[in-house]
Amino acid sequence: MTAIAISGLTKTFGRTTALDGLDLTVQKGEVHGFLGPNGSGKTTTIRILLGLLRADAGQVRLLDGDPWADAVALHRRLAYVPGDVILWPGITGGDVIDLLGRLRGGLDRRRRDELLERFDLDPSKKARAYSKGNRQKVALVAALASDAELLLLDEPTSGLDPLMESEFQRCVRQVKQEGRTVLLSSHILAEVEALCDRVSIIRLGRTVESGTLSELRHLTRTSISVETSRPVTGLDGLPGVHDAVVEDHHARFDVDTQGLEPVMRQLATLGVRSITSTPPTLEEMFLRHYGEES
Amino acid sequence: MTGTGTLLAFNLRRDRVALPLWIGGAGLLFLVQSTQSQNLYGTPEELAALRATLGGNTAVIAMSGPVELLDSIGGEIVFEIFAFAAIVVALMNMFLVGRHTRGDEETGRAELIRSARVGRRSPVYAALALAALADLAVGAGVFAVAAGTGLPVGGSLLVAAALAGVGLVFAALTAVAAQVFEHGRGVYGAVGLGIGAAYMLRAAGDAGNPALSWASPIGWGQRTFPYGQERWWPVLLLLGTALALTGIALLALDRRDFGAGLVRSRPGRPRASWALGSPAGLAWRLHRGAVIGWVIGVGMLGAAYGSLGDSIEQYIAENPEVAEFLPGGAADVVDSYLALTVTMGALLAAAFGVAAALRARAEETAGRAEPLLATAVSRTAWLGSHLGVALLGSALVLIAAGFGEGLAYGLTVGEPGQAIRMTGVALAYLPAVWAVVAVAALGLGWWARAAAVAGWVALGYCVVVELFADSFNLPEWAQQASPFVHAPEAPLESVTAAPLIALGVVAAALVAAGLAGFRRRDVGY
Repeated sequence: MTAIAISGLTKTFGRTTALDGLDLTVQKGEVHGFLGPNGSGKTTTIRILLGLLRADAGQVRLLDGDPWADAVALHRRLAYVPGDVILWPGITGGDVIDLLGRLRGGLDRRRRDELLERFDLDPSKKARAYSKGNRQKVALVAALASDAELLLLDEPTSGLDPLMESEFQRCVRQVKQEGRTVLLSSHILAEVEALCDRVSIIRLGRTVESGTLSELRHLTRTSISVETSRPVTGLDGLPGVHDAVVEDHHARFDVDTQGLEPVMRQLATLGVRSITSTPPTLEEMFLRHYGEES
Repeated sequence: MTGTGTLLAFNLRRDRVALPLWIGGAGLLFLVQSTQSQNLYGTPEELAALRATLGGNTAVIAMSGPVELLDSIGGEIVFEIFAFAAIVVALMNMFLVGRHTRGDEETGRAELIRSARVGRRSPVYAALALAALADLAVGAGVFAVAAGTGLPVGGSLLVAAALAGVGLVFAALTAVAAQVFEHGRGVYGAVGLGIGAAYMLRAAGDAGNPALSWASPIGWGQRTFPYGQERWWPVLLLLGTALALTGIALLALDRRDFGAGLVRSRPGRPRASWALGSPAGLAWRLHRGAVIGWVIGVGMLGAAYGSLGDSIEQYIAENPEVAEFLPGGAADVVDSYLALTVTMGALLAAAFGVAAALRARAEETAGRAEPLLATAVSRTAWLGSHLGVALLGSALVLIAAGFGEGLAYGLTVGEPGQAIRMTGVALAYLPAVWAVVAVAALGLGWWARAAAVAGWVALGYCVVVELFADSFNLPEWAQQASPFVHAPEAPLESVTAAPLIALGVVAAALVAAGLAGFRRRDVGY
């Protein structure tokens, strides 16, 4: 069961190509990370999913419908948080939350009040008095208070403080437990690592990687720092070992996931006194994708 | 005081475009009035005749100023233009001081400034110094225009000083309001109300009890009686008031926190009212203030036109050259006059409609359409809500123009039924008004980036055809695209259904085409 199925999606604005054959598949019930640097086409993709922009070429299915032709019917089943939340200056946050809820087809009052409490948001302030973070909270409460089966979140935590960010993470986990689907666009990697089942990485309007976090980790290396009782030897010849720095009883190096076993055997013969291994972060995946290709 | 000079130079740079326009505008008002008045009432006989006509017309006195001014041609010019020029200068000062005080504080720019080696009071000093320079420039411009068009030097100096003095009072009043309110909107609302009150008080005073005029800075300015009794002491009253208000502003500034006001902004509703549950409900909420403002403003303008209806017949008899501007010539003078003025009301109603329709584009480019269109709101419903308010609101503005004109005219001639009649007359122009608004709607659907140009060009073309076709000698064919040419000139001509229906069909088709275009295009670009 797929919630979102995009293949070969292309969109140009005048001479700039925003999307250049993008593919994206999101299964129902999963939290899917949508990663890419600024300007890579994340927001354009989401706007096409919302039927705000028309695709130039490619297939796009959203909740088994056509996002352009069936926009209104589909929008009853989804909630959206824009990356840059812009509100009407003379209208209160409470007004906006209720308005968006009603336009979506009703919202759960109890959940709305509970979320206001959790995000520590004063709904009686006019929007012109809200900071960026508070405007973001207004949009988040409006989306999370709905019982939409799909949440489209475009960099929803930019502007939130760490406390609110962890509250947000708790909310998303709850949404996932209820069996709902989330597409979470982000360039904050820790957030995606903490929340997402699967991740798609895009760059220059094209999908460069897609899979579960563990599937993607095979692409990257583990960093190992080790102290041994005998001087370190024999590492250089092993397959998959990179950037080794050996100083007598101490060594630091990166190793491909497939090369871990022979490395561990070799280290064991040297008598390991202490060892730390750091799992690859998405930062490193980013660095490899965007560092080496460009 | 630290840093005031640097800030003043910086403020001057920030306002280098807007300020000359305001100052030039004030000078232009005097230039037009001075040349026009000296042409029309240049001889003592003409002036005496005018004094006899206007001296008894309470409505004109309420709109303009004290009748004592009419003793000289220079005074007549002051009588006609001073109150309006004072409003323009007051608005200039309000925006100037508001922008550089509360405006900067609200956006956080002032925080950056105040973190530098800048005194707490320096931004206020710099804003007021800029206002004083601007008022000085306005005074210099008015003096140059007045003296340059042949008016006596002494009186010209006095009227320039009085106008600059009124400006300073409202600059200082804005500085006080900037300490009181947390947001620019509150500041402008309060000072705008103050300007309106100053105008109304002097209107009530000049037409009735003169004591009321002494409660208004605009009244003080007029009661210097330039080119007549020539009193300088009301100018000192203006300067003293400006100084006192500045002192109050500084005291208030010393007693409040940065970013805060003396009055905390009122919290709004924590929950939306039932009315805010549909695109139409939101559109009404967003346009409400503008609709009410336009209805009141155009209604009052209509009343001002209507109050002159009775004296117009007499006026035309004395000034046959004016009759040439009226569509029906000297015959049916009052009906011609009513037709012309209702057409002005209709053009204003169309202007409101175009502005309201284009608000949809502003919402779209600001990113405020996106969250709504991401809900179960269709594009037709969203754009339709703004167009609906534009069409219905322009009808309300038109009704206000007709009703206000009919009411005031009816009261002066003792026929209250004129209010109903003129409302009906005004509605004969509704299909033409809607046709203009529909051009903006068409633009919104098909050429979003050029929608504003399409709407305003359509309106501007109609204004030119309606008001200036004869002076520009526009050929007949070049006027045919204006819907107003095809609407009957009620009440001068009888109203027939066919052209109204045709215009209505054209308007409906353009709106439908606009909505269809909007369903096809990308939103937000």
